[in-house]
Amino acid sequence: MHISLKNRIKKDKKAKFGIIIVCVFVLISVFGPILVKDPYHFSIDYLRLPVAGHILGTNDLGQDVFARLVYGMRASLLVAISAGFLSTAIGTIIGTLSGFIGGAFDKVMMRIVDAFLVIPAIIFIMLVAAFLKPGIMTLIILISLFHWQGGAKIIRGQTLSLKNKNHIVSSRTFGAKKPYVLMRHIIPDLGNILVVSFIYNARAAIFLEAGLAFIGIANLSTISLGIIMHNAMKFYYLPVWIWWLVPPGIALSLILLSLTFIGTLIEKIIDPRLRNA
Amino acid sequence: MKKNILNYLIAFFIIISLNFFVPRLMPGGPIEAIYGSEVLLNISPETKEAIISSFGLDKPLFGQYFQYLVSILKGDFGYSFYQNSPVLKVILNHLPWTLGLMGSALFFSTSFGILLGMESGWKRGSKIDKFLLNFMIFSASFPSFFIAILFLILFGIILGLLPIQGARSIYSNLGGMGSIVDIIKHALLPMASLIFVFTPSTYIITRNSMISNLAEPYILLAKAKGLKETKIKYYHAGKNSIIPVMTQTGIRFATRLITGALFIEIVFSYPGMGSLIYNSIQLRDYPVLQGSLLVITILVLVVNIILDFFYKKVDPRINYAY
Repeated sequence: MHISLKNRIKKDKKAKFGIIIVCVFVLISVFGPILVKDPYHFSIDYLRLPVAGHILGTNDLGQDVFARLVYGMRASLLVAISAGFLSTAIGTIIGTLSGFIGGAFDKVMMRIVDAFLVIPAIIFIMLVAAFLKPGIMTLIILISLFHWQGGAKIIRGQTLSLKNKNHIVSSRTFGAKKPYVLMRHIIPDLGNILVVSFIYNARAAIFLEAGLAFIGIANLSTISLGIIMHNAMKFYYLPVWIWWLVPPGIALSLILLSLTFIGTLIEKIIDPRLRNA
Repeated sequence: MKKNILNYLIAFFIIISLNFFVPRLMPGGPIEAIYGSEVLLNISPETKEAIISSFGLDKPLFGQYFQYLVSILKGDFGYSFYQNSPVLKVILNHLPWTLGLMGSALFFSTSFGILLGMESGWKRGSKIDKFLLNFMIFSASFPSFFIAILFLILFGIILGLLPIQGARSIYSNLGGMGSIVDIIKHALLPMASLIFVFTPSTYIITRNSMISNLAEPYILLAKAKGLKETKIKYYHAGKNSIIPVMTQTGIRFATRLITGALFIEIVFSYPGMGSLIYNSIQLRDYPVLQGSLLVITILVLVVNIILDFFYKKVDPRINYAY
């Protein structure tokens, strides 16, 4: 692909915005915890409106909302990266194997994928998670287990078209074994498709985690953006509520928006037909 | 069509099986997983025996699974100790509110999406088009529950225009028209949030297909014939632009609509399925939770089957694809 990524980003204001926001998110997640107060520290200063020392006020346990926000962003990023990676890995394994092996295996796998596509992942996860009362790690695994199907389908399609490309056919005639071709040629050639799949899976993971936590399916003693919002919902009659509820919501929306923009940018790079739309 | 129905059946069995096996795999066994250790402490050994035999928990696993399937098909989703009533009855009390909310939001968001999409596509590149497009892309990225929260704060609390909780005023004695107005007032904010979240996907699809339709020769012909602009816009290009809205939004739209409705209900404490699920999670009322999720799954599947059926009516080309 002879397209300079740099030039594409320069032209695309939305992608630029997205990349900046993601960078800010990463910086806050890495360095924020050093700078803010202890998010678990209780105090008698509860339900305070913003004052010096508590930029966003305090919650019902007297914990600093801003500190919790920073840790919540870190949790979201952790979910995004690990669940994004895991679900893309599952999708890649199933997609490439399905496309590459073909035959009955492909038929069975695609039937399963289609069945999983029919029902929203969030319902599967709610069903299992309600019993497990999961912490962040369990949630990451659950999200990955139930949110790989879309990516798998796209990757399978791409594998099918790669399978008959000249360089792959010729490497087969030179005696390359199937696993070698898969690892050495097909998966590297998927390249950007895997990146897009990762970004959209990461985006979905952030949304699912936040949504589940918001409903209350999470270990509520941990911190994440969804859990902060869940805890804040009960205090709608107090003025402090807005300071407590809106910032995590904005952080969440911003990261989702940025990932959409970055995903669209890479999709445009893969498929030139989208560029003028 | 056959292939699709098979997909739905498989999906249904995956859900049923998860519903059946997950509580049985939990430490402490299904009774503790479903009813919670609190309930177990409070019931007599006889009641426990009765529960065990009524669920067939003393029978082999395969027999239990079969019995479970039969009772689901009969509409027996179990008994809720918190609500002291059969689960199905609890669900049926909440389902109509969700259906009403979803149905009206579906109607309005589709209408707005199609109308705005047509205008936008017709005036491609104009200021209005650019504004609408950016606005829609922007608003599509907001999580549904956050939009609901913003609406609640703005219209419910700051402006104080509309009620922020429930589906009707309690302790009020409104008869006839009064109670209808009251119900509509309560539904307005949740509905507006749902419409806000779901208009963009319809809009973007309509706009794109409008743009590609406008490049077709039959539009040029219509223009050459000297037809009125409105006629070309709505009748010639517009009508054909609606087809992809049905065919492309389809499955993902139905599922997103339902989950979106669940989240938004929770924000507004609207007494539908979302609030039911939320409360049963808080109370650990698992029979209700399981039953609700099952009903929602069935709802998703039914909506998808209906949509599938409609595609073919709307766009005969779909039939060739199978």
